[in-house]
Amino acid sequence: MDDALPIRARAVTKTYGTQTVLQPTDFGVAAGEVRALVGSNGAGKSTLMKILAGAIVPDAGEVRVGGASAPLGKPIEMLRRGVACIYQHSNLLPEMSVLDNLYLGHFAARRFGWLDRRRQREQAQALLARHRVELDLDGPVGNLPTVKQKQIEILKALALDARVLLMDEPTGWLSVADVARLHETIRGLRASGVAIVYTSHILDDVFAVCDTVTVMRDGQVVADAPISALTRERLIELMVGDTIARQVEAVAQRPAPAAPQDAPRLRVTGLCRQGVFRHVGFDLHAGEILCITGLVGAKRTEVLQAIFGCDRFDAGAVELDGRRVAFKSPREAIAHGVGLVTEDRHREGLLLNLPVAENLILATLRRYCRGPLLQGARVREAALRWIAALNLRPPEPAMLVQALSGGNQQKVLLGKWLDLRPRVLMLDEPTVGVDVGAKAEIYAALRAERSRGMAILVVSSDLEEVMAIADRIVVMAEGRVVRTCAAHDTSIPQLVRDFGAVVPA
Amino acid sequence: MIRRPGAAALPAFFALTVAFFCVFAPRFATARTFEDLLAGYSFVAIVAMGQALPILLRGIDLSVGAIVALAGMVAFDLSLIAHLPGWAVLLLALAAATLAGAINGLLIVGLRLQPFIATLATLAAYRGVVFAISGRQRMPELSTTPLDDPWIVSLDTSFDIGGALGLSDALALPGIPLSFVVTLAILLILQLVLSCTRVGQALMAVGGNAEAARLAGIGVSRHVVLAYTLSGLCAGIAGLLLVARLTTATESLGNGLELTAIAAAVIGGVSLRGGAGSFWGPVLGAFLLGVVLMGLTLYGISQFVQQILTGAILLAAVAHARWFAQHRVGPAAAAPG
Repeated sequence: MDDALPIRARAVTKTYGTQTVLQPTDFGVAAGEVRALVGSNGAGKSTLMKILAGAIVPDAGEVRVGGASAPLGKPIEMLRRGVACIYQHSNLLPEMSVLDNLYLGHFAARRFGWLDRRRQREQAQALLARHRVELDLDGPVGNLPTVKQKQIEILKALALDARVLLMDEPTGWLSVADVARLHETIRGLRASGVAIVYTSHILDDVFAVCDTVTVMRDGQVVADAPISALTRERLIELMVGDTIARQVEAVAQRPAPAAPQDAPRLRVTGLCRQGVFRHVGFDLHAGEILCITGLVGAKRTEVLQAIFGCDRFDAGAVELDGRRVAFKSPREAIAHGVGLVTEDRHREGLLLNLPVAENLILATLRRYCRGPLLQGARVREAALRWIAALNLRPPEPAMLVQALSGGNQQKVLLGKWLDLRPRVLMLDEPTVGVDVGAKAEIYAALRAERSRGMAILVVSSDLEEVMAIADRIVVMAEGRVVRTCAAHDTSIPQLVRDFGAVVPA
Repeated sequence: MIRRPGAAALPAFFALTVAFFCVFAPRFATARTFEDLLAGYSFVAIVAMGQALPILLRGIDLSVGAIVALAGMVAFDLSLIAHLPGWAVLLLALAAATLAGAINGLLIVGLRLQPFIATLATLAAYRGVVFAISGRQRMPELSTTPLDDPWIVSLDTSFDIGGALGLSDALALPGIPLSFVVTLAILLILQLVLSCTRVGQALMAVGGNAEAARLAGIGVSRHVVLAYTLSGLCAGIAGLLLVARLTTATESLGNGLELTAIAAAVIGGVSLRGGAGSFWGPVLGAFLLGVVLMGLTLYGISQFVQQILTGAILLAAVAHARWFAQHRVGPAAAAPG
């Protein structure tokens, strides 16, 4: 690859703890090129983008801008060199005005850093006019709807007149018309020689606007080709890889479970929360694992939290064994036999500086008490039982949870909830940051509970996981259910297509 | 400036409180009371403005009371023991306070300490330094000697606006103490810096979302250190004004002032979650506390009830701010999923 490219990464790598998220990777974009960067969740796209933008420091490798080596991990240096980035997560300041946000860090100023708001306002108005966006420059950003906020993020990058524009999932919140307008803008920038990297899960967008595509999988670049050389199917195959393709087959060969005849244990109908999710509905039967999948931001977690009573919903109904319920607190939900294993095990799930045994019985403390006293022997006995059932390593009830690996911590968290013997167990991303072996054990534990008649609802972005454990699958996009199907009736490529489904308004 | 709902509530509440006491508290509506108020709470207002900076950056400065004492004791020593000229005493005392503030900032940035812990530690440490350098301990005979350097004494002057305007026969106007003029000057400078300069914008950005600020190329550490340094400087200025008023410095000067200053800043609408606030708010908050305490005293209400009411005002201010944060239009208040 040519070293004089507007931006070029050479052998950049990144490791978090023991997990390598980016293998030595080469990447570059030419002036006037729109390059798609695609891959499934956790493929390393965002990490690569952040290295290019200077947001994180790679462990090794170098980034060259316009042929010259650039300092690593310094956003200001990359901005000065004309590299702008639209990040996936919001980087706006809700309390500041639209104008201040647009030019944050490089606001027009006279001597002594005195802000030249009039000049900046004129530039901003020209920018808005050029991109046909209507915004009140003086209103605080926090009061605007999310779509407008995303527009501001995009305008913020455009305001820089950058030579390199990095876009990480820029269209996540935009309507079809807005996406078309964004693509128009991208084509305009390409014509004026800007090098653009475009990350998206929405393959329609990739085919619509990109010239070339880099496919990443498991922290590596697996393909690099002009977009015209690839079909949609081939691109999906490259993204998900052969191993999963095999797994998909394995699942497909599994006999279809008998269609549940009995009434659903948990029935959700028309669940709405203003501005978050709309008309979410599904049935969950006893002895079934239902997976809700979709992209980050599809509002799956929010649905679980609304059911569990730690968040509200505005309309719709939740029925448990045919009786209508609306839990006002998690405590109430637990009393009704509904459990929720949260995604963030450190913040919401575990007491890291307490031993395994105490963590396992935390939710069921009362059962191990005689009067006010905790019965140590029974606690130990229960802990040993769960340690054996979940194959916790090391099998030591007195071990502090913080000393365990991520996978074993997750098993402790799962054991804590299983000890409650819930009738409905909801799990949010149960295997994030968990190694393959622990994953398999967690899946085995869930399957065992299913066969004992527990109703299990899993939110997962990991398609491999969904295909491995789900009996039925609900796909959500932008706060709505776009598809409900039996696991053996679908495939990973089909699910990927569903992720990007354009939801009719 | 940005339009914000609820911003008019504090001035309105302040005006109502003043009006209430003018009508109902005996001898409140007199020039004497207002003079006492301005002289007695200007230094609180100055410390509160300094305190607003760390709070704007999602931090807190618990050491301001100790820094007030430090500035005072440095001035005491340099004037009465070293016999330095008054201007040098003032400059060096301010330098000591500024350095103390800068140390707070450097500890927070350099050692990545929680601001609460870092300034709790320096609160104890600076108070210890005050005792260690105390001229009162070293030369007990000096403890009754007043500070009489003309530079220091001049800080306690008061301007007779009634006399200057030739109105003193017609109505009794309160004298304006120099400390209040200093308060207004600091307010003007800080508010202009905050809303009209790059530095101010960067401070707001770092407080609002440090990661977003970093990604926009703003030096986060630099602005954190700046905020604590300025907080120290403000505490130093307040310390000197206080020493001039008392004509001496004691080891316990400014004890508990950090809590009053935090209360004034919070009442003044500076968000503890950072990124939102002003400097006129803390000033108004400080004087509101003053008005309430003086009014209730004149009303004949006990000291204990006054403390309860101070707490109630603080709670009301925070609840009011939360109410506006939760009832803002649009879904943006919800965290993105």
